[in-house]
Amino acid sequence: MRILLIEDDTTLGAAVRDQIAADGQSVDWVTRLDAAGDAMRGAGYDLILLDLMLPDGRGIVFLKALRARGDATPVIILTALDQVSDRIEGLNAGADDYLVKPFDLAELSARIGSVARRYSGNPNPLIVHGPLQIDLAARSIHRAGKPVALTAREWALFEAFLARPGQLFSKPQLEEKLYAFDSEVESNTIEVHVSRLRKKLGGAIIQTERGMGYRLGKP
Amino acid sequence: MTLPRSLQARFALSVGLVLTVLWLLAATVTGLIVRGELDEVFDSALQETAERILPLAVTEIVGRDEDEVTQRLAPIRAHDEFFTYVIRDPEGQILLQSHAADPAAFPAYDGQGFRQTATHRLYSDAVLSGTIRITVAEPLAHRAAVARSIRMSLILPLLVMLPLALGGIVLAVRVSLTPLRRFRARLDARSARDLSPVPAADLPAEIAPLAATLNGLLARLRDAFEAERSFAANAAHELRTPLAGAIAQAQRLGLETTETTTRTRAAEIEATLKRLTRLSERLMQLARAEGGRLRMDDSADLRPVARLVVEDLARTVAPGRIALTLPETEVLSDIDPDAFAILCRNLIENALRHGADAAPVDVTLTAEGQLIVANEGPVVPPETLTRLTARFERAQASSDGSGLGLAIVAAIADRIGSEVLLESPRPGEATGFRASVRLPADGPKPSRAR
Repeated sequence: MRILLIEDDTTLGAAVRDQIAADGQSVDWVTRLDAAGDAMRGAGYDLILLDLMLPDGRGIVFLKALRARGDATPVIILTALDQVSDRIEGLNAGADDYLVKPFDLAELSARIGSVARRYSGNPNPLIVHGPLQIDLAARSIHRAGKPVALTAREWALFEAFLARPGQLFSKPQLEEKLYAFDSEVESNTIEVHVSRLRKKLGGAIIQTERGMGYRLGKP
Repeated sequence: MTLPRSLQARFALSVGLVLTVLWLLAATVTGLIVRGELDEVFDSALQETAERILPLAVTEIVGRDEDEVTQRLAPIRAHDEFFTYVIRDPEGQILLQSHAADPAAFPAYDGQGFRQTATHRLYSDAVLSGTIRITVAEPLAHRAAVARSIRMSLILPLLVMLPLALGGIVLAVRVSLTPLRRFRARLDARSARDLSPVPAADLPAEIAPLAATLNGLLARLRDAFEAERSFAANAAHELRTPLAGAIAQAQRLGLETTETTTRTRAAEIEATLKRLTRLSERLMQLARAEGGRLRMDDSADLRPVARLVVEDLARTVAPGRIALTLPETEVLSDIDPDAFAILCRNLIENALRHGADAAPVDVTLTAEGQLIVANEGPVVPPETLTRLTARFERAQASSDGSGLGLAIVAAIADRIGSEVLLESPRPGEATGFRASVRLPADGPKPSRAR
């Protein structure tokens, strides 16, 4: 999953970026609304974390503009404005969730997961896929009752497939989900991760469409 | 003697008093002047009488046949004599006297001119080398009676006029103080949260500066309230972001390190920062509860706010810990939704912290606008109950709360003209704790037919 973080406080921004990266998602962090606009023109995002008070404007205006042009990207507001009236305004403007500072990073991860799941059409974090029992909230997988350990990158990739069960993903699309702008992408990274996933979860878990990309295998 | 507090009574009393004294003074002076004039007139009448009678008496006495006879002149018609007279010879023998003359009232002759005894005013004169002497007497009582009747005629109208004048003064003072009374009534009629200027255009020149000062004070008060409110909001905002950054960094440190001591330290830093966050949050809430405007111009439904607060808090505790009951109809109130949220949050957090861990906290908002938060738990003794709304007061010293939650609730309740009712055990049961606040609600609105 590729996430855009818009936060002007560098201490908090760095910690949030590290947390999201540690969860295996790719994250782009900007500190201004105009930079956020540029980033959105350059890449597609699965989720936006939006601070409300930014040096070049109010996040709520950005959110309203986003919704006004029909962009349905999930948005979680991160804000120091704790008043109920602010929160109601934020939710009415089209935010999917609202996190008041200071928050727990674990809670942030959980909210990101829950919002993303809701967007994928299955808010239930427990998924059964063939012999696999997947708990998206706990980030755990059991294969035929036995736990399977995935690295953060593997998780992120697998999550992307789970979020759109029938969809065909091209290699660049998958790379985008794994890396932020500034990360180096090696040419065979996706192949390596796919092969590891197949090894851990079963050969049929990901299908290859030759020359086009990958999709989630039938259970 | 202390003056009455009422300006109106003071005016009426002082003007009335001055008027009365002046009037009495004028009457006294007039009385004295009249008395002097009166004496002059009466004296001249006395002298005139003597000079008229004397020649006639001389003719009468000289032409008399026998000497040494006292002749008393009979009255022509019965009447009171104000002036009496005697005519005597040098030996004091009375030759002639008026019919009502009492010889005892006449002292011995001692020369021409005015004399005065205790009872009479006298005028004496003599002719024929002093052989015929006349003394005319007028009783002083007569003069006194005349003076008295003049005095009365001066004072009597006073008795009627003074109350009338005083009434007039009271009326005039009352009328001229009407704008002041209107100003006071306007000030009196407004609610505690209305700090707009009081219209004072119609006030008298003497009072207008006072009203201007008052309006200036109201404006300053309004600014101070506004400043306090925005300070509370800004300070909360300014504090939250760095605290969020520090907490997040501490959490990252704990997650990234493999060393146990570093992880422990990171957890300690995190815990301290969270405590600091809670405390600063409560202090801001308290500042807001005491400083800000807690009633809005419009009414809004409180149910979404209660729902939001409960959803928020429910995330931090085990599922099913908080049971929310809301009425079917809107609960309209002009309380600031944020103040209501603070109220709600503090009562629920209090119940979560001090209540029994397993039992749910019941949060109820009634259609009439009563917020009730009840929890299971040991009975709180009544003496503790009364202390609970005091600042920095915890039910148990070991409790980890800030000790401000119920104080904030009490402060908000007080500002909206209500009070927090704390009961333990909860009504109808043997244990537990219940807190309730009545909110300013519009009440169920009659559905409008269209």
